[in-house]
Amino acid sequence: MKEWAYPDSRRFKVKDFDLIKEGTVSLVIITIIILIVAGFAGAPYRPAITNQEIATRDPILFEQTALGYIDGTEDIASYGPPYNYGWHGNVTGVQSLGGFSPQTWWGAPYPVNTAKDFVLTPLSKLAMASGNSSLRSALTTYQSAPYAQQMAWNNQFRQALSRATASGSQVNIPIGNYGPVAQLMQAELRFAQAGLLSGVLNSETNQGVYRWNVQNDLLFLQGDPLHQIAGNINMLGEQWGISHDEQSYPGPWWLTPYTFLYQVPPWSTIPAGDQLAAYTVLVLVLILLFVPWIPGLNSLPRVFPVYKLIWRDWYRHQHDREGRRQPV
Amino acid sequence: MNWTRQAREKIAVDLAWDKLLPSEQPIYVSSLVYSFGVFTLSSLAVVIVSGIIMAAKNPVWYQVSGLGAYVRSVHFWSVQSFFFFMTLHLVAQFFMSSWREGRGATWIWGVISFALSVVTAFTGYLSRGDFFSQWNQVQSKDAFNGAGADGFLNILNNGQVYGLHVSVLPIILMAIVGIHLIAVRRRGVVPPIGTPEEGDGI
Repeated sequence: MKEWAYPDSRRFKVKDFDLIKEGTVSLVIITIIILIVAGFAGAPYRPAITNQEIATRDPILFEQTALGYIDGTEDIASYGPPYNYGWHGNVTGVQSLGGFSPQTWWGAPYPVNTAKDFVLTPLSKLAMASGNSSLRSALTTYQSAPYAQQMAWNNQFRQALSRATASGSQVNIPIGNYGPVAQLMQAELRFAQAGLLSGVLNSETNQGVYRWNVQNDLLFLQGDPLHQIAGNINMLGEQWGISHDEQSYPGPWWLTPYTFLYQVPPWSTIPAGDQLAAYTVLVLVLILLFVPWIPGLNSLPRVFPVYKLIWRDWYRHQHDREGRRQPV
Repeated sequence: MNWTRQAREKIAVDLAWDKLLPSEQPIYVSSLVYSFGVFTLSSLAVVIVSGIIMAAKNPVWYQVSGLGAYVRSVHFWSVQSFFFFMTLHLVAQFFMSSWREGRGATWIWGVISFALSVVTAFTGYLSRGDFFSQWNQVQSKDAFNGAGADGFLNILNNGQVYGLHVSVLPIILMAIVGIHLIAVRRRGVVPPIGTPEEGDGI
């Protein structure tokens, strides 16, 4: 059994070896080190951001974001597949390389209509729960108005928000003709400040009960609110975001080649940068996979003398043996 | 049946106990480099055990309780250790051109393990339940969508991401690591570059 068990034992001298011993010693040492480091260093953790927090801390930003969902200026409103087919003909989130766009092949399997899902439906639930007939009629007024009228109100309200002031968690809006939009936005703000908006957003993607799919809750915040916070702690894409953790902990440094792409053209400049980066990484993995068969790459180890260091005992042994063979 | 007997005989030869748990090694096996793989596996064992404890409790537990936070910390540092030694192992095997003499498949399974580990770890970062998860979820959606993975994967659905992280991906990863280990033991360690007997073929 032993002879064919060990093809190289016929070519090279062997020495005693105990794999179980090596494995056990390694496992014990590694486990102890990890348990100790874990105890002393802890692990990075920064509490998740909530709608409630944004609405309370920066109510104007919150209303600008919410307004973007009924006037179509937030990215998700006009994203396109897999969430929707854009905003009145405007599609901003679809990536395509020379017409190749698999993103669009699946339609919109995770449907999001931001006006309805992020604002109008939550507010109609709020109106119903609180018996607020004024809010209900504001919703009716908005929804029964022509699109051009809705956008006129929205535009005026957006301009008003740029002049609005916040006192604490309240927004003071200048007097103007915003139709029902001011009331809707103020109600959305209070709903979020009470901590209830997240519940409605989550119920929309979870058959009403379970909180497995947090898509709408995350998408609501994904624009300026999260970007501002991430920018403050250097976690934006152009700041090598995804490959480092916050604080002084090591992050997923193994993603460095991937995040590197986002720092240089063309990946950092073209609209389909994400798509191109994903395919580039795929090609790099394929190259690594087939290194043994790629001429040039497969002979690199012979160019660098690292192997001489790894097998230095063996080469010294060979050298000595050859030396002894020399005639005296 | 003929094929069953052939399979039995092939397994008896290829996976003989003395190959799987060798009692001796060629004399050139003499470097710390040979332990990087074992260190990687040891780290993976800690990753799996700490992960199982967290899965047995729940995602809120490891965010709010002291013990939960400690187990999450063990999971975090074992993953760091896993990737550290796996990278050293990969680099060392490259410079030893360990794919020589019929070991090409061993290299392939190793690289697939590495790539799959990266994906598995990413779903783990998304399952942490903190700002980092939130942020990377909304950031990475454009990459997954843009690449065309949106037909299968909704990266904003924690049910799917968590399921992939604690079950689907680890099971596939462990199977592939298992195949990689069997391939390593079946062929034995690669002889040094430039030995008289060394062949250059793959």
